[in-house]
Amino acid sequence: MNQAALAFRSAALEQMASLTLPTKRDEAWRYAPHKALGQLTFGPATATDAVLGDIDSQIPHIDGPRIVIVNGVVDSAQSQLDTLPAGVKLVSLAGMPADLVESALDRQHDTIDDAFSIINRAYGEGGALLMVDGRPAETIHIVDIAVPDVSQNASASRVVIAMEAESSATVVETRIGHSDAFGGSNVRTEISLAADASLEHMILQDLPTTQIHLGRVDVMQEAGSTLRARLFNLGSDYGRVAYHVHLDGEGAHADLSGLYFGFGTQTLDQQITVVHSAKNCTSRQSYRGVLDDSSTGIWNGGVDVRPGADGTDSEQSNDNLLLSRKAEVNTMPRLEILADEVSCQHGATVGQLDDAALYYLRSRGIPNEEASRLLINGFADQMMDDLESDAIRSWITERLGHDDA
Amino acid sequence: MLHVENLTASIGDTSILKGLNLDVGAGEIHAIMGPNGSGKSTLAHALAGRDGYEIGGTVTLDGVDLLEMVPEDRAAAGVFMGFQYPVEIPGVNNMYFLRTALNSVRRARGDEQIGASDFLKGAQDAMDLVEMNHDFLYRSVNAGFSGGEKKRNEILQMAVMQPKLAVLDETDSGLDIDALRVVAAGVNSLRGPDRSMIVITHYQRLLDYIKPDFVHVLVDGKIVKSGDHTLALHLEDHGYADFVNHDLDDAPLTGAPA
Ligand SMILES: Nc1ncnc2c1ncn2[C@@H]1O[C@H](COP(=O)(O)OP(=O)(O)OP(=O)(O)O)[C@@H](O)[C@H]1O
Ligand SMILES: [Mg+2]
Repeated sequence: MNQAALAFRSAALEQMASLTLPTKRDEAWRYAPHKALGQLTFGPATATDAVLGDIDSQIPHIDGPRIVIVNGVVDSAQSQLDTLPAGVKLVSLAGMPADLVESALDRQHDTIDDAFSIINRAYGEGGALLMVDGRPAETIHIVDIAVPDVSQNASASRVVIAMEAESSATVVETRIGHSDAFGGSNVRTEISLAADASLEHMILQDLPTTQIHLGRVDVMQEAGSTLRARLFNLGSDYGRVAYHVHLDGEGAHADLSGLYFGFGTQTLDQQITVVHSAKNCTSRQSYRGVLDDSSTGIWNGGVDVRPGADGTDSEQSNDNLLLSRKAEVNTMPRLEILADEVSCQHGATVGQLDDAALYYLRSRGIPNEEASRLLINGFADQMMDDLESDAIRSWITERLGHDDA
Repeated sequence: MLHVENLTASIGDTSILKGLNLDVGAGEIHAIMGPNGSGKSTLAHALAGRDGYEIGGTVTLDGVDLLEMVPEDRAAAGVFMGFQYPVEIPGVNNMYFLRTALNSVRRARGDEQIGASDFLKGAQDAMDLVEMNHDFLYRSVNAGFSGGEKKRNEILQMAVMQPKLAVLDETDSGLDIDALRVVAAGVNSLRGPDRSMIVITHYQRLLDYIKPDFVHVLVDGKIVKSGDHTLALHLEDHGYADFVNHDLDDAPLTGAPA
């Protein structure tokens, strides 16, 4: 490990000494399973002996470059890094060339305050570094697999994405877990978009429901850049993804959307903060949740409009469908405005299946159960309306257990 | 075909249908007219099986008791209701919905399933019948449809489902003059010796296009007068005054033709 990396890491390790895990009093962690979080054990990335078998059946079939990270270690055999499109660098963070270190570390993302981000800094030395200077047509696939081990049941890894000016790319991060043992993953993604760059970034979270996923995405956007961030938060006993998006350059645009679909006792948590620091930026947050059985959904979506960010235009919406009396959702739009000529709108809904619609379908001969399914899928599928990739669409619909029209 | 005897429907303490009798023979068209709030839609929903009502009396279709059935079973038995207010279902593709509906009743009847491409052909023919742009197949069910487009979509569904008994609740309201003609032509082309229809309307004009065998006047939850199509002309000229001013409980009234 080189000097810069070492210094960075040891600072984090020092912080580890006085680490306190989040509690119910931390607003952003209020509904997290604190006891289970305390049982996660982390350590330096180590290759696992576990035989993973066929991972392709668990992830979407996307043609193009792919990097597979298992417990923080890049698995070259499962990766496809030979023929990268022009303008694309996709390498393992651990073995990266010295000139790239600067890009991957100390990215001036906002101060890391929560324990799991500190843990990620300390142990998340492995992962993927993606640099794009061009407009590759192929989708870049980053697969993170958590394999609970005896020595440590949780993995920490990082993804760093740097988009050069006017570049454009589509990146899919699929996060899964191996085995039914307790454990999980802690993945941090750091994204920077230079001027006029554009990125479509997608997270497919589908760890086993015996595990925990803690995801955090930090984004810094320069002038005129566009982020399209989508989340399909489906797996894990506690599946959490937090976005911190900074619109730092004039006219930047961030469009975040997502679907969480919970069964059993799952808790699916989305924590979103978009910070408008520059003039005339726009942001959109549009999330939908479907909660069945005793599952819980959390949507905590914030917009901070900093002084000087005049002309901000933001919209937030969060719509939820509760399918059972025991299901629960906590929806919290947050808004802080310290600038002028700002338009910020938000709305949240929580509802059950529409009786009138159900009756309408049944009056056409569609049995009750199938009619319900049609309505649920109709509600969820709207989050895929403008999804271009058929591979991802069919992975999601299959994952949600329904065939597409 | 349809036999309705002493049908009552109430919600909580409000009684809406108060002992309604109606017999509709095979191939007949019956028009039902009546003032707002008299119970016409409630009758339609009682036949289609919406829950939430306390229902009394008898309703049979070809001798089979409908009242015990859930809505999907009534559809399989051949009942189709054209809604006064068709429901918007965002996210559910119109074609997928129609095919699922058709295949559901076919499954219930023990018939073979229809594949996507055969279905598409049939659906397109049905769309031509109601002069509906084929694009509507790929939109969400009724979502963002105009009032008239929704009504056409109801007739499209009827054409696809080929019901034994169609109950059309104000399918003509909200239609412009051309659309009215198109919808009426669609209805007429679906007329047949094995298909009966109950057409609920406020306007005599529809009955110029769809000539009913019988016209019934529904007031305050009961049929207070039945006649042929000239009854509709009378109503057009005189309104319901003749019928609502009576003391309905005492007046000797003609029921539906048996
Ligand atoms: N869910 C309900 N709760 C209480 N009253 C109801 C309910 N549904 C219908 N009603 C009442 O029952 C009566 C009959 O309603 P219905 O919709 O059947 O009338 P209609 O004859 O179809 O009227 P219109 O010509 O306006 O369509 C009305 O007075 C209505 O307010
Ligand atoms: Mg009505």
